[in-house]
Amino acid sequence: MIIIFLTPAMICYLLVFLYPSIRTTIMSFFAVESVSDPISTWSFNGLENYRTLFNTAIFRQSMRNIANIWLVGGIGVMVTALFFAVSLTNGMKFSKFFRSVIYLPNVVSAIAMGTMWINYVYNSSYGLLHDIFATLGMTTLSETLWTGPDKLFWSMLVAYSFGMVGYHMLIFMASIEQIPKDYMEAAQIEGANVFQRFFHITLPFLRGCFRTNIVMWTVFTVAFFVWGQLFSPVNLSNATVAPMNYMYEIVFGSSASTTTVRDSGAGAAVGVIMMIIVIIAFSATNLIVKNDDVEL
Amino acid sequence: MAKKLRSLDHHTQVRLIPSYVLVVTWVIFTFVLIGWVFFASFSTSQEIFSDSMFKFESGFHFENYIRAWNTQKVSVYFMNSLMYTVVSCTSIILIASPAAYVLSRFKFRGNLSIQSLLASALGIPAIMIVMPLFSLVSRLRLTNNRWLLIFLYIAMNVPFTTFFLLAFFKSLSTTYEEAAYIDGCSPMGTFWRIMFPLVQPGIITVTVFNFITIWNEYFMSMIFANKPKVRPVSVGLFNMIQAMRYTGDWGGMFASVVIVFLPTFLLYIFLSERIIQGVTAGAIKG
Repeated sequence: MIIIFLTPAMICYLLVFLYPSIRTTIMSFFAVESVSDPISTWSFNGLENYRTLFNTAIFRQSMRNIANIWLVGGIGVMVTALFFAVSLTNGMKFSKFFRSVIYLPNVVSAIAMGTMWINYVYNSSYGLLHDIFATLGMTTLSETLWTGPDKLFWSMLVAYSFGMVGYHMLIFMASIEQIPKDYMEAAQIEGANVFQRFFHITLPFLRGCFRTNIVMWTVFTVAFFVWGQLFSPVNLSNATVAPMNYMYEIVFGSSASTTTVRDSGAGAAVGVIMMIIVIIAFSATNLIVKNDDVEL
Repeated sequence: MAKKLRSLDHHTQVRLIPSYVLVVTWVIFTFVLIGWVFFASFSTSQEIFSDSMFKFESGFHFENYIRAWNTQKVSVYFMNSLMYTVVSCTSIILIASPAAYVLSRFKFRGNLSIQSLLASALGIPAIMIVMPLFSLVSRLRLTNNRWLLIFLYIAMNVPFTTFFLLAFFKSLSTTYEEAAYIDGCSPMGTFWRIMFPLVQPGIITVTVFNFITIWNEYFMSMIFANKPKVRPVSVGLFNMIQAMRYTGDWGGMFASVVIVFLPTFLLYIFLSERIIQGVTAGAIKG
């Protein structure tokens, strides 16, 4: 019975997760032109694929972009999410309703969300930002081209982060709700103010939860793809390229740009680098939490 | 005492004013964003570009929806997605719940390693698995095959679902199985007739969650379904948006956006509590 019940699930795992991961890792050390080339045509290449990648300007740019997304976007999202989570668990009225609305962007297709941002919020002739700044009389700001080349990356990051806040807020809220109420009450009676309670009770309790949030944020950042495609639909652009967009370009190569050649070996190397980033985030955050005996 | 409590409550509410301001601004912004697209989907392209959009001087343009549905093939994408999601969500449960049950109930060698393998699948990025899958699929000549897409949706969500349901099975008491055993029920029968119905709340939560994930899945679908006939909504919508930018049919474009997000949006309105439970239950263990 154990075998019958477990086999279908294990087949799914082996076929779609384990086998491909191993093959991608091996492939990253070989020179492979097209993804569907049989193994017999692969030739061993050592670390050459990785070297090529780091010598490619657009790949380096894509790494810089996700580093920015991870750090700047991450700080923004975590601070906002934590602020909302603390506010909503602090006796706010209608908190369930607010919570649902803040999470809402996560259930809507990213393509639909992106379209709303690009065609409405950022539109420079009738968009939301245009209207707000025009009403306030700030003409230079209202005429800003938010999706112009110099602002494209930051506009994209804001739109992307806006949707992510809800998810991380829910994770913070779940942990905050598990903090025993007596701690807060005792502190309140002793006269601790909101900030003291936050820094001395809430934050220490949330360590495990920060770990989850950081790992998940890394997983999402590594998979950054759709937004880059939405903000520069035709060609790879320095402002919006992420490693996954670059990999798509050199492996499945669809766009009109001729600067890139098919190189699936390098594509596999991109995959391995992304995997390594996730593993590093996972083990690094594990170390931080291991030193801690608060177990939630 | 009651009076004192009320004044304490009043005090908290006053202190929360800055929080209220920020939260409410955020919420209003979300409404404006989605509301605008909704209104734009009933307007003509000229009205969208002018400031008179919300006046609907030329009436509501339901024909945007009809145009999107018929000529822009939204109907095809929509039906594809509906079929993919319903079939995959059902199969995921049929595959994942027996596995979760076995892992939660029986002691055997490798049980814990299987559990951590399944959990690790959450961290494997799509970019890591897509290339070998593509080469396998193209050698088997299965690109643009509906069943292949469904298989991928199933296989990609089975680890998470198994992991999620494990906790639900663990919380059930073993007395159910003991009673069933005494009454002469086979272990298989016990699972399907007694244990499976008992975890229904967990199954509903995780299915709603899987539904949303599969409905919105983009990357895999883009690579494995490039013929319009088999495209799901996310890929279809992306292509439509790119095309409509050039044809200038903005009303139709926003109507398509609304049609695509409406199913998950409605599901969310009715089941938001369950979805939120799903996120938090999945994350605390992860």
